[in-house]
Amino acid sequence: MSGKINLVLTALLVGCGLSLVNAQYQARHLFIELERSQSKARQLDIEWSQLQLDQSTLGKHARIEEIARRDLTMTPLTAARTQYLTTEGSK
Amino acid sequence: MSRGSSANNSRVARSKGVPFSKNPVLAVRLPVWRSRVVLFVLFFAFAALAARAAWLQGLSTQFLQKQGEIRYARTLDLPATRGKITDRDGQVLASSVPVKAIWAIPDDVQNAPADKLKELAQLLGMSNAELQKKLDSDRGFVYLKRQVEQDVADKIVKLGIEGIQTRKEYKRFYPQGEVTTHVVGFTNVEDVGQESMELAQQKTLVGQPGSRRVIKDRLGHIVEDIESIREPHDGKDLTLSIDSKIQYIAFTQIKEAVEKFNAKAGAAVVLDVHTGEVLALANYPTYNPNDRSKLTGEQLRNRVMTDTFEPGSSMKPFPVVMALEAKKITPHTMFDTGNGAMVIADRVIHDTHANHTIDVQTVIQKSSNIGTTKIAMLMTPQDLWEMFTKLGFGQQPKWGFPGAVAGRVRPYKSWRPIEHANMSFGQGISVSLIQLARAYLVLARDGDIIPLSFQKVHEAPHGTQVISPKTAAEMREMLEMVTLPGGSAVKAQVPGYRVGGKTGTAQKFIGGRYSHTKYIGNFVGMAPMSDPRFIIAVMIDEPSGPLKYGGDVAGPVFSALAAQALRAKNVAPDSDLTHIIIPESAAQENM
Repeated sequence: MSGKINLVLTALLVGCGLSLVNAQYQARHLFIELERSQSKARQLDIEWSQLQLDQSTLGKHARIEEIARRDLTMTPLTAARTQYLTTEGSK
Repeated sequence: MSRGSSANNSRVARSKGVPFSKNPVLAVRLPVWRSRVVLFVLFFAFAALAARAAWLQGLSTQFLQKQGEIRYARTLDLPATRGKITDRDGQVLASSVPVKAIWAIPDDVQNAPADKLKELAQLLGMSNAELQKKLDSDRGFVYLKRQVEQDVADKIVKLGIEGIQTRKEYKRFYPQGEVTTHVVGFTNVEDVGQESMELAQQKTLVGQPGSRRVIKDRLGHIVEDIESIREPHDGKDLTLSIDSKIQYIAFTQIKEAVEKFNAKAGAAVVLDVHTGEVLALANYPTYNPNDRSKLTGEQLRNRVMTDTFEPGSSMKPFPVVMALEAKKITPHTMFDTGNGAMVIADRVIHDTHANHTIDVQTVIQKSSNIGTTKIAMLMTPQDLWEMFTKLGFGQQPKWGFPGAVAGRVRPYKSWRPIEHANMSFGQGISVSLIQLARAYLVLARDGDIIPLSFQKVHEAPHGTQVISPKTAAEMREMLEMVTLPGGSAVKAQVPGYRVGGKTGTAQKFIGGRYSHTKYIGNFVGMAPMSDPRFIIAVMIDEPSGPLKYGGDVAGPVFSALAAQALRAKNVAPDSDLTHIIIPESAAQENM
């Protein structure tokens, strides 16, 4: 009788041990994945602010004006050349 | 062993009858003490092991655990990024990007091959001699160069020179450069704000760095966290009230004007009438915050905030408003300004033209010194002083901008009669351009004064009533007349819009007397007149061409700035007048 219980308990113990090993293994894997994702998030963050900077640099009004004047030969708008439309009701 | 047949004296295994201890060695009886000794030695050895184990496990655990931890646990610093500064529409004006500082242990580097050092110098952008000079140091730690961009730093690491190390740091970039720098400011190499908003908002912009304890394996991979992470808190982003479109317009106009009139400097500020936000603040000369190697004090000076000057005629609306408010005059009260000269005490006050008898509206329109003096004389110095104080003149600004000055209004008790008169047309009182602009806010709004803000405002602030809405409206009418034919600032007209404002020209006070060659021309105005949206103040310092008056130098800047700003903000025009012909000789204004 007691031999049987021992057998069951041993099997249980071994099972628990194995599942612990497995859990630890999974945890490590997940942790590595988390680390990787976090570092990627940081990298993307940096890239994002870099892109924002680039956008601001390339979208500089001075640059736009220069290109508009030089390459597109545009001229500033004056009130004399503007047709203003008013909607019904509003004056 | 032999399979004995009849050896009786030998012991025989019962089963098979094999004798096994015929061997004489086994037959010898050993002395008892020998086995005791062995037993004792074994026992002692085990006891020693047990004691050692107890010592390690029980008594020196802490020390050992610590030692172990040193070998696998690492504390990582989690740096916090400094917050971005953006304009009101989210365009980035300042942002931090990670870069590397390159440092060296000089003794280790000295052994490096010469060609590698040459390559290093090239990458660092310095000559070989310069690099050697830096390495010729007794110290164990020398910065070779700071704020090196990531790709260059990677190349340096690739050289694999012993003793060259890198350290992570941040570099601040200002994409809009010189245009916004007087508002945004800049940081030093340690990422600490030095000027303007970078300095004023240092506390909120700077983040809280964090750290984490981890276990690392032999290859440097993080295996797991030991303690809970102290999260880093990045600095808060700052949204300024600046509208980068209007800012750019203001900057280009000021730059153009300073060059055109050959002036020493110029400045402009644009305020939002409804919220008190500073939409633009431009200065020229200026500097590039990304490259401050040739920075001079002249360039750094923020003339809108930190320079005071005697505003001249642009002060005139305030005594008049006050007299209107006290019901001492109406817009149509007549004043005799005579033939253009008036004696007060022993001084003479001049008008540029003899205006004879004119009403209050015309006093403002023609900018008559005598008329304003007569109006101001209806009030006591104390009343005037209180008015100036309510409008913020002589008061330390509290808008969170470093270096903003209070200006100077002397206590009324010490005013002499001539000063009482001078004060009414803006002499003997010094103000900053932004104070002047803020005082005009009172006229553009319905007579209440509101605080200014350099950060985006989400709800309209509550003002303190200074004058009645009726008085403010009356003054607005007069200010509009200034820009109409017959006024002193026709050059400030804007096609398609009704505008109003007042010019001012002040002689600079140099060495205790008024200069006759150095002037400051200014113009403060509002647009559109039907529902004022912007206050625009322009100041041109020491124009040295033939034109020196505020109406001639600052007026056109106002006009161009207002026209472009109104169009940029899609403000509907409120005037049918789209062609404006400016008369050859505009009515001459007074100082």
